[in-house]
Amino acid sequence: MNVIDPRIHQALDGELAAEAVPADLRRTVAQLAAAADLLAAVPGPAVSVESRVMAAIRRPAPSPARRAMRWLVTPRAIILRVRPAWSVAFAAVVAALTLFTADHEGPVLAEHEGIAQFVGRFPEAQSVHAVGTFNDWRPGSIALEDQDHDGVWRATVVLPAGTYEYMFVVDGERWVPDHLAERLVADEFGRENSIVIVRPARR
Amino acid sequence: MDVRGTPPDAEVVALVLAGDAEAFGFVIRRYEAGLLRFATRMLGSRDAAADAVAESFVRAYRHLASCREPARLRTWLYRIVTNRCKSHLVRRSVADVPLDDAPPVADPADTEADLERADQLLLVERALADLSPDKREAFVLKHVEGLSYEEMAAVTGERIPTLKMRVHRAREALLKVLEDHT
Repeated sequence: MNVIDPRIHQALDGELAAEAVPADLRRTVAQLAAAADLLAAVPGPAVSVESRVMAAIRRPAPSPARRAMRWLVTPRAIILRVRPAWSVAFAAVVAALTLFTADHEGPVLAEHEGIAQFVGRFPEAQSVHAVGTFNDWRPGSIALEDQDHDGVWRATVVLPAGTYEYMFVVDGERWVPDHLAERLVADEFGRENSIVIVRPARR
Repeated sequence: MDVRGTPPDAEVVALVLAGDAEAFGFVIRRYEAGLLRFATRMLGSRDAAADAVAESFVRAYRHLASCREPARLRTWLYRIVTNRCKSHLVRRSVADVPLDDAPPVADPADTEADLERADQLLLVERALADLSPDKREAFVLKHVEGLSYEEMAAVTGERIPTLKMRVHRAREALLKVLEDHT
């Protein structure tokens, strides 16, 4: 590797004024700056993607069920992390879900629908919402409640059966994954989303 | 297209989230030139770059509600395009990377200076294509897109010293190629 005098890097990083660079190094600084300038001008006619993007945007988004199906059939790497403490907590959630679905006084569900229960502990929160692929990541539609003011927020909702990615939005601005979720997956923005699988109600 | 006088990013994001899908056009017109240039330099192909940027804009629109800092929309968009470019690069071998879809053809009207500039550009493009994707990404974000190291860290999720080291290594590799051909 051709190691460069550190002052050249400093000059190109804006940490050293051009006039402070010795004359014998200025040529190299200019050479690299000129190479960057060449790359900054992409030759050929200007291209715009606006019309195709706007056309895609104007098309109705696929339904959650269709997106869930596409997610299920598309091969992808999934990062699966399970900690023993959380798996115990998860088992408790599953048990609660089982009891809930066994309750004949619960909501009447269509065959393709199931129940999802969201639970999170946010002692200082004023509001908690669940957002995800089931509501197009728009906050507001699924509000969790802390009825006994113990800092544990809960919501039970009916959703079409399927697999969804979601996060909690705390106080309208803090996005946090649900670490009690069955699974966590890395999304393309470098974050972790939680996974909830809603199974169809048993008839 | 002139986008001066258009609302700031945070306002545009609020408009789109309130249901005005057409307002997303402001976002595209404001950032597509830079994103296309970045993707072209990452992928070595204008067609592949256009695909990557178009896909990224559609994804950005669909997930706009998860943009936590709308005032820093630019950084967020670069992050999406960066990830998209990496996916493209993973899907195809380095040997398949074209330098450009349409190599420059000498025009009889070209001056000697034009031809020399075209030769230099080809040389630099080849040197850039020979860099690892991480170093290429760091060099292009820094020197072609003009991002600060702080912005680069937000785009790539890497630490600033790591990014500096990548930029330094990329400069050294480029300089070696340039000096070998002088």
